[in-house]
Amino acid sequence: MTVKIVTDSLGDIPSGVAEELGITVIPINVIFGTINYRDGVDLTTDQFYDKLEASKIFPTTIVPPLGRFADTYDKVAEETDQIAVITNSHKLSASYETAVLAKERMKRRCRVEVIDSLSAILAQGLIVIAAAKAARDGTGLDKVLELVSENIPRADVRMAFDTLEYLRRGGRIGKAQAFLGTMLKVSPILGIKDGEAFPFVREHSRARAIDHLYEFATGFSHVEEMGVEHATTPDEAEALIRRLKAKFPKTRIYLSRVSPVIGAHVGPRVLGVAVLGDRG
Amino acid sequence: MAPTKSINGQDLREMFAAATSWLEKSSADIDALNVFPVPDGDTGTNMLLTMRSTVEESQMADDHSASRVAKAMAKGALVGARGNSGVILSQIFSGLSQALDGKDAVTGKELADALAKASSVAYAGLSNPVEGTILTVIREAAEAAQAHAATVSDDVVSVIEATANAAKESVAKTPTLLPVLMEAGVVDAGGQGLYTILEGVLHYLKGEMEQLKLRRPWMVASSVPLTAKSPQMVGVEEVPYGYCTNFVIKGEELDPDKLRKRLEKRGQSVIVVGDNSAVRVHIHTLDPGDIMSYVVPLGTLHQINIRNMDEQYHDFIEMQKERMPAVAVAIVAVVVGEGLANVFTSLGATFVVPGGQTMNPSTKDLLQAVEAVTSEKVIILPNNKNIVLTASQVQSLTEKTIEVVPTTTIPQGVAALLAFDYEADMETNAQNMNKARAAVKSIEVTRAVRSTRLGGLDIKKHQAIGFLNGDLVAVGDSPAAVVQDVLGRVKLDTAEVITIYYGDDTTSAEAEEVGGTLGKQHPQIQVEVVQGGQPYYNYIVSVE
Repeated sequence: MTVKIVTDSLGDIPSGVAEELGITVIPINVIFGTINYRDGVDLTTDQFYDKLEASKIFPTTIVPPLGRFADTYDKVAEETDQIAVITNSHKLSASYETAVLAKERMKRRCRVEVIDSLSAILAQGLIVIAAAKAARDGTGLDKVLELVSENIPRADVRMAFDTLEYLRRGGRIGKAQAFLGTMLKVSPILGIKDGEAFPFVREHSRARAIDHLYEFATGFSHVEEMGVEHATTPDEAEALIRRLKAKFPKTRIYLSRVSPVIGAHVGPRVLGVAVLGDRG
Repeated sequence: MAPTKSINGQDLREMFAAATSWLEKSSADIDALNVFPVPDGDTGTNMLLTMRSTVEESQMADDHSASRVAKAMAKGALVGARGNSGVILSQIFSGLSQALDGKDAVTGKELADALAKASSVAYAGLSNPVEGTILTVIREAAEAAQAHAATVSDDVVSVIEATANAAKESVAKTPTLLPVLMEAGVVDAGGQGLYTILEGVLHYLKGEMEQLKLRRPWMVASSVPLTAKSPQMVGVEEVPYGYCTNFVIKGEELDPDKLRKRLEKRGQSVIVVGDNSAVRVHIHTLDPGDIMSYVVPLGTLHQINIRNMDEQYHDFIEMQKERMPAVAVAIVAVVVGEGLANVFTSLGATFVVPGGQTMNPSTKDLLQAVEAVTSEKVIILPNNKNIVLTASQVQSLTEKTIEVVPTTTIPQGVAALLAFDYEADMETNAQNMNKARAAVKSIEVTRAVRSTRLGGLDIKKHQAIGFLNGDLVAVGDSPAAVVQDVLGRVKLDTAEVITIYYGDDTTSAEAEEVGGTLGKQHPQIQVEVVQGGQPYYNYIVSVE
């Protein structure tokens, strides 16, 4: 039977692509005050970002209970006997620990292997997409896990921020703390390194920050997967895709939206580009 | 979730037991934060041991009333308290117990009032309460609890939630209140510990058992940037270190207030808490024998613990080195003016040497800065054409590797600093910074010190003169008009960002007006007006 891929919604896999590749995505919820908003169910993404900017309460995110993971495994196990679960970095959420513990709560018999992507957002998403493609082509579970391990260092992402305040308040700032509190209006460019947010450079204007994203993506000599994601600025994302298309005409470039659960931690107006590939 | 109208003694036991397990998960991280009052790196451990004793003693209460359990906890906290933060924590439990006296169960409002009492008792226990510590956190958290109970809800869970949220924000702000934290780029360890305890209580009250089991407490991030200061500079304000001395005196008719006053003359960081039968003492002293001889006649001594703080300090330094950002390359910048110095440090300059026009630093000044930073590789930004040569002499005097990025103006220095890539090596960074330096245009406006003729312009003494990239191009009666004049000589249609740094004899109103006019004329440009505070130059403007 073919390997099935399960992941959490922190990988921002574009709607449609998950369905196309048979990826099961476990939603991670956002809590505003005492109200629990199920990702994409109780609140549209646009409503969420409006609320994020207007609300004084800082939203928190929660990983669904063990039971939810276990139930998902059981449901997927109706169709397969081997599941690869690829999670968000353990340094950024409790998704990995929950996914591992949930194995014991399963009712059905099925081989389940959990692997930490040490990543997040679309970089995690691209690792998952590559694994799903391999699974679709009949690759066995051990080979899929091997592929994921190989792809972890090959997936990279850069995000242009307007402010790091959301990241700070959510406690996920890591070493990017060095970029806090600048006295000038700058756009910090962050990526993920060793499983957590890492500060790379600061650009002095939004236009330059976007140029930086473009240069980052075009610095790859071989591109296997590529995607652009935004929170509230679709025009910028589409313009960036057009520029990248000119350089990589044969590559399918995914357009994705930063999910509310990630948006709560990065803030509106974040724009990012993720690449799975090799640098020249 | 069903509202929780009140909690009893059994709830108190269980919620603080859960909070203790929660604290245990991050006690090592909290240890790594400690810089105040001395960097001894055991705040997390001390608070944990204090909490354990508190929880153990809570089992000794003879019934399940809030009053009796709180009293038992206060006793457990007092006898088990270790270190500064532990002792303050014991004061917090003492305050809670006083406020809950005679109560079977506690409502949200009563709990908020008890926290306020806990805060005032904590302040009262110290001879010299310092803000930006666990004290600020308990006070602000209690204030938020009372405000929430009075205006939003009396529900216990929602009051604790408001308390924990306020504690978190309060912890994040501690570096703005306590310079030693700001320097070390950390939040207060005791404050973080208290927040973690409140967060653990909240998880318990919300019934989030899986979260308590699976997750780890978040360490609150400082609201100010982490500047990579040399760890040796951390905590130098309190000298000498000596011995951290802790003990309990048991006796009859002890007087904690009198004892505190006496001990203050014999040491630092004195905390004396307790009642007339048992008193806990924490003191930093050069001669623990002297303290012991002094207190022996007062009663029997228990739980005596004396540690050499120099050893603790060295362990702490090692621990700090591991968690400091790995800055392989440090940046030394020459800057004058408080605002400009803040701009440079906020952008990651490791060391700022005061200096500029008419006050050029010596080679020795720069060498000292280079030697003071921990990195073996140092980039120097002279930011003035008269300092570039001095900076280039430093390499011959040090074993460290030096690169001078020859910035001749403040705007060039800022542009170079912004181009610094935290992941790139020194050579790549120096190249990128040089490229960025060359791409920026600098405008400087000052007043002529004497009448002269320069660059084809007749200048009278005290007239405003404007330079573009170091060349005199404009003269006029007001600095604001000269800025406009020079800007008119620059091609602005490709400019993206203009930053105006105004000097210490220029008003912010005037500078804002210059910026506002510019913004109206060129809506596509991002215009920033920043208080530079530099002497001599009314305006320094960067065009990128």
